[in-house]
Amino acid sequence: MSHRIYLLPPWLRIWHWTNATLMIVLAVTGASLHFADPGLHLVPFSLAAKIHDIAGVALLVAYGFFVLANIVTGNWWQYVPKPPGVLARCWKQIVFYGWGIFWGAPHPYPPTEEANFNALQAIVYWVIMYVVVPVVILTGVVFLFPDLAPAKIFGLDGLLPVAMLHYLAGAAVILFMLAHIYLGTTGVRPTSLFKMMITGWHEE
Amino acid sequence: MRPASKSLFAAFAMLATAPGAATAADVKGAAPTDPALIEKIRKSNAECYVCHTEAGLKNPPRADMNLAELAKFLHDPKQFDGSNHTGMECKVCHGQGYVAFPHAPEAKKSISECGECHATKALRVETQFKDSVHAKNLADRFTCQTCHDPHVYKVAAKVGDPRKIVAQDNAMCVDCHNSDLRYGAISAALPTKKVRPDLYATHDWLPNPRLHWSAVRCIECHTPMSPVKSLATSHEILAKDKAEKACVTCHSQDSVLATRLYRFAATNVGSDLGFANASVLGSAYVVGATRHPLIDRAVIGLFGLTVLGLLGHGAVRIVMAFFRRRRAS
Repeated sequence: MSHRIYLLPPWLRIWHWTNATLMIVLAVTGASLHFADPGLHLVPFSLAAKIHDIAGVALLVAYGFFVLANIVTGNWWQYVPKPPGVLARCWKQIVFYGWGIFWGAPHPYPPTEEANFNALQAIVYWVIMYVVVPVVILTGVVFLFPDLAPAKIFGLDGLLPVAMLHYLAGAAVILFMLAHIYLGTTGVRPTSLFKMMITGWHEE
Repeated sequence: MRPASKSLFAAFAMLATAPGAATAADVKGAAPTDPALIEKIRKSNAECYVCHTEAGLKNPPRADMNLAELAKFLHDPKQFDGSNHTGMECKVCHGQGYVAFPHAPEAKKSISECGECHATKALRVETQFKDSVHAKNLADRFTCQTCHDPHVYKVAAKVGDPRKIVAQDNAMCVDCHNSDLRYGAISAALPTKKVRPDLYATHDWLPNPRLHWSAVRCIECHTPMSPVKSLATSHEILAKDKAEKACVTCHSQDSVLATRLYRFAATNVGSDLGFANASVLGSAYVVGATRHPLIDRAVIGLFGLTVLGLLGHGAVRIVMAFFRRRRAS
């Protein structure tokens, strides 16, 4: 019988899957808008625009909930990498993913009730959730109300830098999502971590 | 212009010219530059502006004038000077009958038709206009001036700034299509009464209609694309069932905006910075159109590499786990 610890409260799991669903919807519709072309079979432009707007506002609401709930429950502390030796622990984690994992080595820093994330996870999650996603959301709000953008920047439309930031930050979130979903298969069984995100119980 | 049409054009221009008025030879070209001629035109037009301006209406030069009638025919000299017809004498079009006051009762009949000067354009426009929804429903009620006020209008090529082109051209449409009064007056000739459709209701499928209306012309969607891209925009106005509804016609790398609204817009900041449809970027960011192909390639490349890297990592994990299990057994 494997060891189980309860890690994830319901609010965090509900937020995670809401956020995940919205991110996927936004990625698909966002790509359909950006790469729009008569020859490509993407989500029809007008439909994609409407869904992207609605899902974007929903993401903003979900993000607001995430930040508030983190403050109220104290969960924000989990995202702070704790010195000393943060870089050394990150490096050990990278070596594990690049080498140890192939040889069946144990996870160097398995989650505990005190520290849900390893150092690399904490840093990446922190950057994504507190830097990249806010950039996507803020630029998205300007996109929704283009009058908020400066009229001109260096003789070009003021929405251009906003749009570029939105596009690149959105692309960064999508790349993170790919890696995040893949790393979800690195539990004791390929499905264990996905189960944890549903039940809240981590299996070792 | 071919010699035959050139001579035809000259003949029309001469016919349209009242005795003593400056010739209409400037119609197709720049306003006159000769100071003496400019002064002569200014003086001649000032005679008309004595009455036909707001100031003239307030201080009419004669006591016996019908001010209610005069109020219908006022012009703004500044607006006229900013129009396509700047530098022309009023008398070029308002010929016989308008020289003296009171104007001749039949003077209106002597106003030159647009085609008298714009002969080649009129020929092309007429064939497009006869297929237009306006011609089908209200052919007798429509003249060039129903939309194009010759005292105000400026062609897109001369306006330059796309936002100004949009403001001027869309005003021509919404003057009627957003006014129950004017729409009702012009559609009164129809056999069945037509209620003006609400613009927001008919455009409810269009995301952010207000933004579109300030950034592109109604005719971007409500006219067909000319098979010859160098030709001006068509005058075949399309009703909603035939109008363009495919967003990607504009929102794609091969955007028609570049050859429509932005065909006169120069690329800004000296270089295009590698963007597709760079001329559009001077006044608008258009999702799907104003893209940077190199950045797009880098993003798609990174996406592909990430997917391949993760799949490769997973494959090695599966193979290694297989060997570990075999060794253990």
